[in-house]
Amino acid sequence: MPNLEQWVLMIGQAAALLFLAPIVSGFSRVLRAKIHSRTGPGLLQDYRDILKLLKRQEVVPEGAGFIFRAMPFVLMTALLVIAMALPVLTLASPFNAIGNLFTLVYLLALVRFFFSLSGIDSGSTFAGIGASRETTMGALMEPVILLALFVAALLAGSTNLGQISVSFAALSGTSMAAELVVTAAVAFAVFVEMGKVPYDMAEAEQELQEGPLTEYSGPGLALLKWSMSLKQIVMAAILIGVFVPFGAAASVTAGALVWAALVFLVKLAIVFLVVALIENSAARNRFFMTSRATWAGFGIATLALVFYLVGL
Amino acid sequence: MPLTLLAVSIALYCAGGIASLLLPERSASRITAISGGLAAVAGVAASLPVLIDGSTVSAVLPGPFSFAHFVVRLDPLAALMVLAISLLAAAAAVFGVAYVEEEYASRGVGAMGFFMNLFIASMLLVVVSDNAMWFIVFFEMMSLMSYFLVVFEQDEEAIGAGWLYFLIAHAGAMLVLIAFLVLFARTGSLDFAAFRNAALPPPLAAAVFMLAFIGFGAKAGMMPLHVWLPRAHPAAPSHASALLSGVMIKIGIFGIVKVGIDLLGAVEIWWGVVVLGFGVVSAVLGVSYALAERDIKRLLAYSSVENVGIILMGVGIGMIGIAVHQPVLAALGLLAGFYHLLNHAVFKSLLFLGAGAVISRVHTKDMGQMGGLLRLMPWTGLAFLVGALSICAIPPLNGFVSEWFAYQSLFVAALHGSLLLQLVAPLAAAMLAIASALALMCFVKAFGVAFSGEPRSVSAAAAKEVTWPMLAGMGLLAVCSIGLGVGAPLVAPVLSHVAAALTAVSIDVANGAVVFPDDPGIGQLSTPLLAVLLIGLATVPLIIASMFSGRRLRPRIGAEVWACGYAPDAGMSVSAGGFAEPVKVLFRPLYAVRSWADDRLAATRPWFAAIPATAARTEQCWDRWLIAPLGRGLALAGAQMQALQGGDLRIYCLYIVAALIVLLAVAIG
Repeated sequence: MPNLEQWVLMIGQAAALLFLAPIVSGFSRVLRAKIHSRTGPGLLQDYRDILKLLKRQEVVPEGAGFIFRAMPFVLMTALLVIAMALPVLTLASPFNAIGNLFTLVYLLALVRFFFSLSGIDSGSTFAGIGASRETTMGALMEPVILLALFVAALLAGSTNLGQISVSFAALSGTSMAAELVVTAAVAFAVFVEMGKVPYDMAEAEQELQEGPLTEYSGPGLALLKWSMSLKQIVMAAILIGVFVPFGAAASVTAGALVWAALVFLVKLAIVFLVVALIENSAARNRFFMTSRATWAGFGIATLALVFYLVGL
Repeated sequence: MPLTLLAVSIALYCAGGIASLLLPERSASRITAISGGLAAVAGVAASLPVLIDGSTVSAVLPGPFSFAHFVVRLDPLAALMVLAISLLAAAAAVFGVAYVEEEYASRGVGAMGFFMNLFIASMLLVVVSDNAMWFIVFFEMMSLMSYFLVVFEQDEEAIGAGWLYFLIAHAGAMLVLIAFLVLFARTGSLDFAAFRNAALPPPLAAAVFMLAFIGFGAKAGMMPLHVWLPRAHPAAPSHASALLSGVMIKIGIFGIVKVGIDLLGAVEIWWGVVVLGFGVVSAVLGVSYALAERDIKRLLAYSSVENVGIILMGVGIGMIGIAVHQPVLAALGLLAGFYHLLNHAVFKSLLFLGAGAVISRVHTKDMGQMGGLLRLMPWTGLAFLVGALSICAIPPLNGFVSEWFAYQSLFVAALHGSLLLQLVAPLAAAMLAIASALALMCFVKAFGVAFSGEPRSVSAAAAKEVTWPMLAGMGLLAVCSIGLGVGAPLVAPVLSHVAAALTAVSIDVANGAVVFPDDPGIGQLSTPLLAVLLIGLATVPLIIASMFSGRRLRPRIGAEVWACGYAPDAGMSVSAGGFAEPVKVLFRPLYAVRSWADDRLAATRPWFAAIPATAARTEQCWDRWLIAPLGRGLALAGAQMQALQGGDLRIYCLYIVAALIVLLAVAIG
């Protein structure tokens, strides 16, 4: 079991990511407005939306059952567990026994399971299609993420996320080219998992009325919106914390943590800036064309494996 | 002591089975359940001490045959099987008492109890036999007893499925028999103890291994020898399906481990690679076909093919580890395989019992006719949900722990292995990821279409919760599923004894609440902590949702779903086929076979506007590409052979003379 320092770090970073999440999605909206040459809402608009939704009545469809009601809670809980496990401010994971790459992949599967099941449970046509797409994306993306993380783990000699992060920070892996390519593969996977255009398959707003979110309202929708932002920031934190960990605290001291937090915020802003540029300059992909991109992603991950094997 | 308990257990099964045959129907189902339950308790009690110590007990019993002593050997591997069989037998007995009375009243309840109990007893006897002859005898008895369970419904589908099952089971047993006879010819003894010291020359050892691998592989339902499995398992009564899918196919895995590792010592690396390769193919293809199913029991049966694949992957890594003299890798791979074996036994039988409970209420296996059952049958639904989460490897449940160990063993193989392993292991891990992502889709579909949303038929809308014995049977397995997952730090060391008994090196897999693959630096996992966090952190969204709760109106339940302004209808929600459609399009090569069904559909479309049944049944590419040519080839060969037997008496006389001359020539020369 974690000691006091680890508990503080785990709870601290989960809380920080949770409260940062609506600001980051607000930041995306600000950038989007800027790219559109609009004034747009402020940075805190998502907070205002969530607070407003919390005051609204919840409307539950007739066919919906316990899964539909429970999903927003399950989603946020699972994402908070991931937020606790990732190395965010420190190079090492706050607690290795939950910060393992396979655990990470399957906690994301837990999110996906309930997210898509609630879509069917709502009884809505759009939500059902969104659910089907969400699980299909899982089948396409999980091998990419897993193979990329697997190669990263081979480079570091450990499947613990903390050790991978330490190894990437020290550039101590045996193969520089593999490290670069694997980071590219993970960046691609992270982008797709964020559910942004052109890969907003499950929650396609114009096409599927936000997929599994269709039937949510009031506090359920508030939690869900918050969780979706949290998922985006957690995905970004995987890329930043594990693969681009430069500046993270090697030891737990106040000064190092403050510096690490500043560096993390800058990197987060850069990641979401790049994401905003991509999502606002691309058209939506046709759903059945997605597999081309994801197989290319799998190819990149395989390339990283080959580079690792030849030690380039 | 464990052997005495085991004998008591087997005797109870036999006594209960015979009593069930003789007694009137009402007491027959009771006596089956009571004897089965008591016997299962004795079986668990017999296996636990052996598993915990990692010791082996054996005894030679007097038998009627001078050439084959009845040697009983309860080693940790056999004890693991005894534990799995007993656990499932207990759940099936409790579930069965109500299920059989409701579903099979005056349709041969006594016979079913007899076959069920003798089936379980023969499985127990197979795993503890340490003599080739007795092994084969009990192996065939197991196939025979399960055959009667498969054909129990006595409809066309069940009889056809039973016939196919019988043929393949028998062919497999013949291959195993040949393997044993080769060993017998070398050693002059039928005891496995003699086989262990046989020291075969490498080509002969390889031949024996491949014979046993294919023979037992057919029993395990690995691809491409799985054709019987998705037909036979759904045909049986659900509590028998649970045992068929839960443990009987594991006897095939047991046999592969027994011959490949225990008897022959897994001497060459390619044996393990072959096992790993078949495992990967079974895992990915098994779940792909499961996904395409509408029939809930066929879906579960195909998913068994997938899970056999995952177990074989672990066993394959274990065999590679033994062959390359990396005992830690070997122990890790076997640990992953055995852990998944136990887990799959538990959650698959849970799912089969859940499916049986649903079918007993809705009277159809078609998921398209179910829907909305979670509200009508909440406890069955909850148990099925636990099973679905476990089989999708969702942390912290048991399926996750064993897949985690499977990934870790692949990782260790890639980290310390030869170049071949470094290339193969990461790709195998990626294939396992595809398989588990498809499994997630498959069980979201199964649970979603059957239990969520609106009822899709009149009988689904009228469904009622099943009676308490059925719920108790499912509850027992659901608790085991959770326990084997959250309790991983307690379970993994026990299972590592089973691996250690085969690899002669014990690995360190748990410390406190954390499990790891021998070296905590390689990877760590704490399912208890995950469980605590998942429960504890749920307070955060609960607190957020309770904010302003005084200022908002009470939830309005029973609103119509959004259907673009039209009146919503249950038929508008996603169907079992529609849900899986994207995968069928994106992974088209795997489903290429579908086009055959489409051909027929296109040909008949002008006359029959809707002919869903044709497309609903997944056509088997194996049937088309492997079995059908084989059948045609045999028929052709048979037709050619008929020329020999033309009915002309003079030709027959010529045969006799020719044979005599040949024999004389041989005798003289």
